[in-house]
Order: sequence, then structure tokens, then C-alpha cells
Amino acid sequence: MQKDNSKLKCTDIYFEKTNYINIEIEENSIKNSETGEDNGLSIRVINKKGSLGFAYSNKLEKITLEKMCKTAIKMMNMATPDPDFKDLPYSFKNYPIVNGLYDKKIKYLEIEDCIHYVEDLIKVCKEDKMAISQSGNFASGYSKIFIFNSNDLSVFRKETSCLISSNIIIKDKVSKETSSSYERQIERSLNKLNAINVANLALEDAKRNLNRKKIKNMKGPVILTPKGVISLILRPIAAAVNGETFQYKRSFLVDKRGEKIGSDNLNIEDNGLIPGAAGSQIFDDEGVPCKNKKILENGNFLKEGLLHNSYTAGKEGVESTGNASRGSYISVPSIGITNFIMNPGDINLKEIIRDIKKGIILNYTGDSPNISTGDFSGLILHGNLIKDGEIKEPLNETMIGINLLDLFQKIDAVSKEYRVYGAFQAPWVRIKSANIIGGVN
Amino acid sequence: METSEDLKKIDEDLITQLNQIAKEKVEYWDIRTEVNNGTSLDFTNQKSKEISSFEIINCGIRAFKNGGWGFSVLRNIERESIKTGLQKAIKLARLSESLTKINFNIPQREPLIEKFKSKSKKNLDRIDIADKIKLVKNHEKIAGDYSKYVKNTHTFYMDGNSQTLFLNSFGSKIYQDLSFLRLFCMVYTNKNGITQSSVNSVAGVGGYEIAETDKANNLSKKTAKEAVELLDAKSPVGGKLTVVADSKLTGTIIHEAFGHACEADLVLNNESILKGMIGNNVASEQVTIIDNPSMGQAKQFNLPYDLFGSYFVDDEGIPSQKTIIIESGILRNYLHNLETSSRMGVPANGHGRASSSSERPQVRMGFTYIEPRDWNLEEIIEETKDGILCEDFQYGYTDPTTGNFQFKCRFSYKIRDGEKKEIMRDVSLSGMILEALNKISAIGNKNTFNYSVGICGKGGQRVRVCDGAPYIRIDDITVGGLS
Repeated sequence: MQKDNSKLKCTDIYFEKTNYINIEIEENSIKNSETGEDNGLSIRVINKKGSLGFAYSNKLEKITLEKMCKTAIKMMNMATPDPDFKDLPYSFKNYPIVNGLYDKKIKYLEIEDCIHYVEDLIKVCKEDKMAISQSGNFASGYSKIFIFNSNDLSVFRKETSCLISSNIIIKDKVSKETSSSYERQIERSLNKLNAINVANLALEDAKRNLNRKKIKNMKGPVILTPKGVISLILRPIAAAVNGETFQYKRSFLVDKRGEKIGSDNLNIEDNGLIPGAAGSQIFDDEGVPCKNKKILENGNFLKEGLLHNSYTAGKEGVESTGNASRGSYISVPSIGITNFIMNPGDINLKEIIRDIKKGIILNYTGDSPNISTGDFSGLILHGNLIKDGEIKEPLNETMIGINLLDLFQKIDAVSKEYRVYGAFQAPWVRIKSANIIGGVN
Repeated sequence: METSEDLKKIDEDLITQLNQIAKEKVEYWDIRTEVNNGTSLDFTNQKSKEISSFEIINCGIRAFKNGGWGFSVLRNIERESIKTGLQKAIKLARLSESLTKINFNIPQREPLIEKFKSKSKKNLDRIDIADKIKLVKNHEKIAGDYSKYVKNTHTFYMDGNSQTLFLNSFGSKIYQDLSFLRLFCMVYTNKNGITQSSVNSVAGVGGYEIAETDKANNLSKKTAKEAVELLDAKSPVGGKLTVVADSKLTGTIIHEAFGHACEADLVLNNESILKGMIGNNVASEQVTIIDNPSMGQAKQFNLPYDLFGSYFVDDEGIPSQKTIIIESGILRNYLHNLETSSRMGVPANGHGRASSSSERPQVRMGFTYIEPRDWNLEEIIEETKDGILCEDFQYGYTDPTTGNFQFKCRFSYKIRDGEKKEIMRDVSLSGMILEALNKISAIGNKNTFNYSVGICGKGGQRVRVCDGAPYIRIDDITVGGLS
């Protein structure tokens, strides 16, 4: 039917079928057990002028699908022309082999077999004297994805994922103060999940943040924990090197390609090929093979350090980097990361902290920098004072303000140790100096 | 729109069979089915990025026994699948029950058998897609042509119709037919290397008339004007200052920093600073806070449609109603779903909401607002010696267990000796919410009262909400900026 439409240049179909399990705990007790399915299909049609139409449905009956095709073509005919559109990807000869993205155990998992994960979470909270409550979950999913396009591309992948999350709340019985912290672990295979570790990490963080004190304004070194690195370095850079954000000039890194924007300690890559990693894939959501790309090397923002899907790559006249991302069948491909990594350094975390006379360690701000300017000013939700090389009291009503380019230049130490949070991997990082706005006048 | 053929498959015969399946195995069950259709138009720089259309069906089946829930999600509305789905949910509920430490019962309620339909002056499905595109293109052009400093424009239009059928073991059977529309406009400006942006949206429950009010017609121009004004704004200096906040900013702070703490599921999980505080003084005496998601409240804002956060019944079949949260500074009620009201032994107040039938209802707000008092805006500003007038917000967040919040304002103006002065940008306010509520020293009158629309996320689910407030003044609040 689509071939009949002479104006049509190309089309692709994305079909996804998922089955999932979810067990939730609230108030440190099992609350809800859930199983579900999702399956849906979307069609993208593009005419010779580059106009795009899109439709999706999860009602997989012939009559609905025919209606969808007609609607998509109608939408295409209404859309504005886009000379920047080049073509959809052509079929590829070779796809990489990435092991560990599919765990057969998850496909055949029964809910009874997952109970022990949440029981482990519950146990950690119950056995701690300060913990008063916990919410969290275990979830697993198995999905199959098919992508076909009119350029003879036809690919199929199956993958699994599983996760544990824990949000633990603690209370100091004397001061009556409370504190909480959230941790999670996302994996491709069940045997990597460690619920006790996840709950313990949440518990430790919550304890480090109890009985918070206001401080005076100060200027000093700042240690970013891996969570801090994700929110102040990795997420902003991932957003800024997104081909679309970049082409719309909404990125603070526009005009900075090929320039040194950070200290030698800043090395970042987007690697889709790590065996078993949460962000790895054989091919992206347009069927383009994934790969490993260097983004920043010794503080230099590489000329080829952008993330592209087929559209933004075509607009720039380069190959897609395999970063098309849909989230699910309901979206047209945008651009996403695979595994976004800041490379670890060669110093122990202890040594990095040891030299600090007075500074702070920043774990979590909840705030995010302005991607178009690189400006950041945010409330420190989890952070502590560092005095004479030791982590001391947690900070209350304390804010930090810095421009990201300034922050990148001031990175003067990166730890050997690192943590993985889903598709992000980050070490501990020291910033030479930043302005801290205290809650005390 | 006619009742969907898919929903018609659920007839009395099937309901009898479902009751038979659940009989004596569980204490409560409910089934939510929905058929959703809609359009979305996404334009950037006067070009269409995405023009799309969808049709989605979902079915969520819950079963409950003595504190344990089971939930089974389907993507079809077939009689046999629904029966199997209920059996699965029952099995899962019994599994949860065998493991849970928190046991409780859901008291029997009177069944509700009703059909509800939102009013539309102009039915969405009678508007040609070409007209909707014309509307969006027009907004894009107005924003793009507004000034040479406008670098990027983005307009997003979405509309939809959702037909739902709710059944539960009390014998309730509720059809709902809701249409909604949202128009969202964002403009980026750039001058001398400084980039600024502004965002506005119009949204409601109703038909195409939502996109045709004066407020909607003016959306792109207002957004472009604001983004241009911000280019010349200064960065503020930090410190403790008196802040006068408009309805958009106040409403958002009330929703984010206070409203979530009133959600009884968070209270029960020790994630709320308001646990054990019913009957206590939590705000200054002038403060009364309400949540009222009932339909028919938009008249006070002269709107020909219903507020975006409104609904007839929640996703557990409880009618929407007015709930007093704070009365003259005293905390009176939490917001509840079926579970939290059952556990706390109070009546359900219609706040069990889910983003779709494939998700479980959580405790969510609807239209949360501070009641106006008697100050007019001029008086509030005149009586402020040294402070900041803050309007609209960019974003904000709160630590629920401590009440520590931060909000970044979009526009701020210095107030010196009772007069509004120069514009500033990126002013951020932070503090502890209960302290801030106690420091409210002036609340504006009806003329200063307004509302804003939003989409609120919690536990991965996004629902339509509104918040409202008059202008208010808060003394002695921490203000941060870049310099």
C-alpha cells in the first residue's frame, strides 16, 4: 500500500514486545506484585521533500494497522518540507557481537523466584537501628525489538534487564531528625543483582546526611561523588553533545569543538559495546550498529565527539554514530547515550580527600545545570563538610554556584575507584575551588 | 464520540463471570480499561519535527487481599484475556498477602453506576488536522518574528480523547469520556553570547476551544516577549531577603514542597514531614490550603473549559471533591486513595490517580491552591522595604523527608523602598517549607489569584494537575544567584 504512494521516499517500522515483572515494597513490607505485557508498533513515513509523518498503536489488528499507515501518510502530506533530511539507514553487513545483554533466566522468570531480592532489601532496613522505613522494588523485563525499513534494513534483537531500587529513611532517636537516600542497580543478568549491597549503600548515604548543619559562605575544594559527577559532568555533557541540541545551538559547547575545555583529567566516552552493561546494544533504535566513541580526550572536546542519529548525521554529512533512541514505540527516534563514561584516574579516593584542609563533598543536588549557558547554581541536598582530610557534618541549606566550563578546567584529581549507575559510569572527582553559599548569614 | 466498540465487549454477562472467578478468593478487585486516541504536533523553528497520531488500549486488573495487592496489565480488551488477567491478579494478590507485614481491609462502599462526559464546545475529532497545524504554524511564526534576538522557537500541541470503563467488586460501573488539549510554547533568545528562554502553556479538559481563548492566542507572543526581556536581566546577589511571589511560583512551591507531603502514601512510608501533624499548627494563621479537583471551577478564571487537573471520579471510582488541607494555619487532612483512607480509618477523598490503566493508582493532587485573603498587590510591594518580586518558575525540587526546597524563578525584580525596580534572572529561593509557610506575612486578594497547569511526575507516572495562589509575601528567605 505504501509503495503505491509515489511521493514516498522511505519508511520504517519499529515493533516492540515486552513482558515484565515488578514487586514493590512500601513501608519496608511487600505491597504489590505485578506482571504485565506491552506490545506496539510505530510507522514513520518520509516523502521526497523530507516531510515526516508518524503513527503508533498497540492495537495489533489488521484494520488498525491499515488505518495507521493511512494516518501516517496523511500526517506526512501535512508536514513541512525538510531539506536537511537525507535518508534512513541502509542495511549493514556487520553488526558487533556484544555478550551478556540477554539472560535466558529472565525470560522464563516466575514472580515467586524474585521474592528473595525484595526480602534482602527488607532485611537490611529491619536490622538497622536507625532505619524507620524503606520503599523500593525489584523489576525485570524481557523485550524483543524488530526494525524494518524501505532501504532493506531488517534487524531483530532481544534483550533483558533487571533492577533493584531502595529508598531508605532513617531517624535519629535523640535529635528526631530524619534523612533518606536512594540507590539503584540496573543489570542485564539476574546473577549480578545484589540487593543487600543496594540497601546498604542507601543506608550509608542516609546516615552520612543526618543531623545537617548550616555553614557560612566559603570558597574551597569540592569533591564530587560518582552521583555528583553524573549530575554535574556526565549528564550535562551528554545533553550538550547530543547532535540535535548542538545543531539547534542550545548547547554550551557550541563553538567549542576541537578546543580544550577541561583539565587533562577529563576523559569521556560513549561506549555501546561493553559486555553485559545496561546501556549496551548491538544496534540503535534505527538499526544502526552501536560503537565506542571518544567524546573528550585530556580535556579536548573532539571534533567527532557528537552523538548522532541518522537525521542529525545526515544534516552534518557524517555517518550516524548509532545513538538513535526511542524509549519505546510511541516516539520518533531522538538521540540518547549508550554507556556514558568518565574514565577513572590513578589516585586512591582516600588520597584525594586527605589533602583537603577545608572543603565539601557533594553527592546529590537534585538540580541540573542550564545546558545552553553551562551555568549551575543549586541546593546541595546531600553533601558534607571536609575538614583536615576527613568527611564531617552534612550540610543544610547550602548552595553551590559555578559555570561548567570553569568546573571542567578546575578538575585536579580523579579517583581510581568508580561506580556504575545504569548507563553512567563515574569516578570521584576533585574540583580545585568553588563558591559555596551557606545557610548562615 | 460514540462509545468505543472495544469497551462494549465488557457486558453484564462478563461481569457476572468475573464476580464468579473472584468470589471468596480476594476481598476486593477492580478493572480499568481505556481506549485513547490523540494527535501531537511538534514544531521547531517553524518546521514540523513530528506530526503524529495514536490509538492505544490498556487494561489494568487489580486484586486485593488483607494488605496484599496483585496487578496484571494487558494491552487488549478481550473477554478471555480479562478473565485470565483477573485470575493472575488474584494469584499475585494472594502471594503479596502471604508476604506482607501490613494487613488491613478495604471497607465496603456503595456502588457507583454512572456515565460522565467532559463538555466540549468544539469536538476535537471534528477539527481537521490541517487547522491544528495552521494554529501551531501561526504560533511559531509569531514567536519567530517577534525579535531579531529570537534564535529558537518550539511549539508543541497535543490533544486526546480517553474513554474509560471502571468496574469493581462493589458493583461500580463507571464510564468516563474525557477530552483534553495542551499547547506548549518555548522560545530561546540570544544576545551578546547570553542565551535565555521562556516557556508557557495552556491546557484544559474540553475541546478545541481551549486553543482559541485570548490566553491561548497570546501564548507565543507572551513567551517571546519574556525571553527577550530576560536578555537584559542581571544576575542577583545572594542573601536573606523578603520575597513577593506570584501565583505561578507560589502555586508550584505549594504543590512541590508542601502538597506532596500531604499525600497519605508518603505519610505512611515516613517520607513526609507532616506525619503525625494533623491538628497541629503548620503555617501562619492566614494560610488556608485546599485541593479541589471537581469539574466546573474554571468559571472563576473566565475559561470556557474545565481545569487541566480536574476529573469526575478518580481512578478508584471515588468522586472528586473539595478537601481542606490547611485551615487557618492548622493541618486538617491528608489526601487519600482507597488504601490510605482504609488504613487511616478516614473517608476516601478521591485522590487515587494513575497515569493510565496500565499503572496502579497512587495518591496524587488535582487542583491545589492557597485561598486568597485581603491584600492587593500594590500594598504588598509598597510595604516591602528591601526585597525581590519573583514571578514564574523554571524548576524546583524538595527533599521530602526534611522539607528542604529550592526553586529557580524565571523573572525577578528588585524591590527597593516599596518600588519595583530592575529585572533579574536565575534567582533561586531555598529554605525549609514549614518555616517558609510560617513566614508568610501577606496573602493577596481575589484579584491577584490565578492558576497554572502542569504535568506532575511521581513514581514514574505523569498526571494532569493544576495549582493556584494569590500573590504572597514571605519574609527572610534564602536567595541565591550566580554571582
